[in-house]
Amino acid sequence: MSSVPAAGSLAVRQAELVAALVAGGPTPPGFAPAPLAAARAALLRKRAGEVARHWPLLAAGLGPNWPATFLGWAAGRPTNGGLRDGWDLARALHTDHALPALGADELAVREAAFRYDGHRPPRPRRGPALGRVGGALAGQLAGRVRLLRPAR
Amino acid sequence: MTGPHGVGIGWRPEIAGFVAELPGLRFVEVIAEAVSTAGPPPDALVQLRERGVAVVPHGVRLSLGGTEPVQPARVAHLAAVAELLAAPLVSEHIAFVRAGGLEAGHLLPLPRTREAVDVVCANVARAQAELPVPIALEPIAALFDWPDDELDEAAFLSEILTRTDALLLLDVANVHANARNRGTDPLTLLDRLPLDRVAYLHVAGGAEQGGFYHDTHTHPVCAPVLELLAELCARRRPPAVLLERDGHYPPAAELRAELDAVATAAGLPTVT
Repeated sequence: MSSVPAAGSLAVRQAELVAALVAGGPTPPGFAPAPLAAARAALLRKRAGEVARHWPLLAAGLGPNWPATFLGWAAGRPTNGGLRDGWDLARALHTDHALPALGADELAVREAAFRYDGHRPPRPRRGPALGRVGGALAGQLAGRVRLLRPAR
Repeated sequence: MTGPHGVGIGWRPEIAGFVAELPGLRFVEVIAEAVSTAGPPPDALVQLRERGVAVVPHGVRLSLGGTEPVQPARVAHLAAVAELLAAPLVSEHIAFVRAGGLEAGHLLPLPRTREAVDVVCANVARAQAELPVPIALEPIAALFDWPDDELDEAAFLSEILTRTDALLLLDVANVHANARNRGTDPLTLLDRLPLDRVAYLHVAGGAEQGGFYHDTHTHPVCAPVLELLAELCARRRPPAVLLERDGHYPPAAELRAELDAVATAAGLPTVT
């Protein structure tokens, strides 16, 4: 649509609703708060499952702390998909010295295989590359990626 | 190619081995967005097709209820998956999944208004113009309603089906979830839906949490859903019913028992 949607139109109200659910926006007028809060929480749980599928070692490394760690990071932060969400979370945890060894191994392998600037979708690296995350070291040559040294 | 028949299961890579060993299986569903059209389909799906198992692409990201016209590339992908798998039909949801540049990450409900009916019908028509096969529309499970509904659910759905001439994919677990969370009677809705338009049914597991019933697809199918399935099939038995499971996969014996329970409740032959 080329025209700007009118305030109160369905387009605007759908956008307000999505913002309230995934981006920390205010509850739109007229919606019952409790069901909307339940929906917000359910969306975060579903997202946590998707990220854990893309980043199984990260989730396993955090163990019982995985749900709370993910929910604390993701609340109010819209998704960029499970791959990028997990990547951003792993980098944030690494910066905070809170990335478990398994997560560091997984991140090192990904960093060796893909170029990811945090803004656009990751792209496979063409040339040989190393991925280093703390003590974890991964190498990529001709598209084959190996963890050379695990973190401890 | 005929439509889906009998008891089916949602094909997921994690349970491909289990699905391949179901002797009586004639019908599966795949998540359309998970199938690449750049090459041949996964071997496991090819083998199912060679056995004569119908594969129905099930879209989850078209956003037919979004106010922006459905994205042509997404419709083209769904159409290509249908061609690739020689599907008898495709299915999608009466819902929206993105707005204002944000992805919700899940199916969100529409206000049951005439404006929303118009939006859905226009998008379904755009999709139908490009799809090689019929489309079945699935009403979703919603944890909340919009404040300004003009129509009840039966009227809202019936209007969309009549105007689009689409088939109905009725999710029995969603009917249970919505009735439970709204405090309404699910049988009242069943009695007012055009059951002759049902291409197939969904059933899935869920769980009570925080005072709400959540349609999780990661728990066993609960007794009220099986009872509702039996009630529906006693009124008019659709040709097929499909079990959706999307995680926390149980041991094979449990999943087989669940398929058998679905078959028994629906009055269809077992596939295990």
